[in-house]
Amino acid sequence: MSNLLHFSEHTLQEIALVFMATIYFLRVRWLLKWTAAKERQPATGMGDTNPKKGSRYSLANILMPWVMESTRTKPLMYLQFVLFHLGVVASIGLSFIIPYAPGLLKSTTVQGILQFCIGAAFVVGIMRIIRRVSNVYVRAISSPDDYFSLILLTAWFGFAFYSVPNDASQGEGILLTYFFVTAFFLMYVPFSKISHYLYYPMTRHYLGKTLGRRGVFPLRRSPAYGNK
Amino acid sequence: MFLMNDENKKRSYKAQKVIDRLGKKLNRQMVGSLAACVHCGMCTDSCHYVLANPGDPTYAPAYKADKIRKIFKRHYDWTGSVLPSWVGAKSVFTDEELEELKDTAFGKCTNCRRCTINCPMGVDFATFNRMTRGLLVHVGIMPEGVEYVSKEQWEIGNQMGVLKEQYLETLEWQEEELQGEVNNPKAKIPIDKMNANIVYTINPREIKHDPRSILDAAKIFYAAKENWTMPSEGWDMTNFGLFSGDDDLGGAVAGRVYEKVEELKGKKLVMSECGHGYRSTRCEGPNWAKKDIKFEAESSVITMLNYIKEGKIHVDKSKNDSSYTFHDSCNNARSCGLTEEPRELLNYVVGDFREMYPNRAENFCCTGGGGAMSMSEYRPRRLQSAIVKAKQLEATGTKYVVTSCHNCVDGLNDVIKHYNLDMKVTQLVNLVSNALVI
Repeated sequence: MSNLLHFSEHTLQEIALVFMATIYFLRVRWLLKWTAAKERQPATGMGDTNPKKGSRYSLANILMPWVMESTRTKPLMYLQFVLFHLGVVASIGLSFIIPYAPGLLKSTTVQGILQFCIGAAFVVGIMRIIRRVSNVYVRAISSPDDYFSLILLTAWFGFAFYSVPNDASQGEGILLTYFFVTAFFLMYVPFSKISHYLYYPMTRHYLGKTLGRRGVFPLRRSPAYGNK
Repeated sequence: MFLMNDENKKRSYKAQKVIDRLGKKLNRQMVGSLAACVHCGMCTDSCHYVLANPGDPTYAPAYKADKIRKIFKRHYDWTGSVLPSWVGAKSVFTDEELEELKDTAFGKCTNCRRCTINCPMGVDFATFNRMTRGLLVHVGIMPEGVEYVSKEQWEIGNQMGVLKEQYLETLEWQEEELQGEVNNPKAKIPIDKMNANIVYTINPREIKHDPRSILDAAKIFYAAKENWTMPSEGWDMTNFGLFSGDDDLGGAVAGRVYEKVEELKGKKLVMSECGHGYRSTRCEGPNWAKKDIKFEAESSVITMLNYIKEGKIHVDKSKNDSSYTFHDSCNNARSCGLTEEPRELLNYVVGDFREMYPNRAENFCCTGGGGAMSMSEYRPRRLQSAIVKAKQLEATGTKYVVTSCHNCVDGLNDVIKHYNLDMKVTQLVNLVSNALVI
């Protein structure tokens, strides 16, 4: 292993992670400096729910595609969401496995699982780029960051896919690219929409708390509603 | 290219005011919603305006939300201060731009909250669209109807400018009608009675256009032998502050109602069937008025349902012998969870009830929500978007659509007339009254 590859797998990643954590810390501090609005109203709605239940339901929304019409009626979009985010987890995991637990990658099963997740996410990334460009509604709301973040992630999946075997015998180019892109990705994330996972718990908690107090969450649907 | 240097660009007085006030209106919930959107577009098809105007992205919830989000990012989110264009941050400079914002906030959204419950991130667009309206109202930029109705509610105390004499005369008239209907000259609509179990508040539309609903409610209270009263002041439980985004108006109007209930030492505040009135007085009012209410408050739907369940009134559903569907008011269903009680009540008073799809919290707006009925300049746009509701109504095959909202009554009547549907609109109070066995 060259010094450059060692640097990119270790020191560079550590710098990038510290940078990301610092910006995230500042970001969370900024979010928390805003005072949360107080709900004075007495509980409303059906008696079988409350703010805590509403919050839990709201946070678990991500795992229940059937509860929202937008995901229920577009199962393919939900599948894309799952594959894309599994790919993110696998690609980030890979950046830790290669330097700290390379032995895991000797297993062809582990390699297969990682490559499936990352490969599928790459395909979804391409589909999402096409959608962002071709769908009139999505195009109209897209900022340069929306395009760049998506292209960056998709390219990163591509490099991650080929880095899974962790084989530098044919050259270090692909591994070097993967680790440099990972470092850039980590440093860019806090400034981009990719950091949305930072807000998810907050937005969903507060929405769930309010709508739980008001008896709206968990949402009720007609028993005869079926799959409409 | 992405580092925008707009600091030296001249900004109008109103635009500066909007930016300054935005900072004062932000709270953690609002900031979360403004920062969290990932532009996934999943909310798009949840909006009836989008469904009725395919291909026009300016109706998409995320697009509309971005109008205010851009300003927030430019001035209050430091990622937008560093690279504004890169993250879609943009300031506002002219009154013309504020007019465009008005067109979106008032004319392309009824604050129905359907996109909110369909957003994977939990972005509450309806709440910050209301805030946007409030920012514009603060600088005097609003549809004429909003200005007019707000003024009426500030100055006269109710949103239809009903004078006290007119209100009391109407109640007196309805009392005479009640005495005739129940054949009892002692039957009363009590005014300002102290220590009543129920203080009954209404929508001024009932005085102006639908006094029958007051009579129906009085008949039900009479049959239940209820100790009730109507207040001579603070009787309007509707609240244009919800629509205009003006929290000061919202707090003042809700405060008037609460103060009157306290003055009369009423045990419970009951609101007649009105979606936005119920939401304003029951849910948002204490927040706007910054007051914790000490008495119970409920919708008349719940009161009527309890009367039947407790055997205080008896009904015969065969008296309502047509076919009925139910339209959930957005404010009742998506903001206050009032979805099951009206259905339970309907099943007591009608024989042929057919569900509308989608329903409950997933129902579509009547298209008259968010104060849209008072904004005549957007009427053609509203009626075009009503095709979604018209199709929903038609698919039920019923003769009546029942709703628990006066605003929806007017909105649905417009839809029915515009799309030539063979249907009528009615409310639960009318059906319960008609089914009464006295």
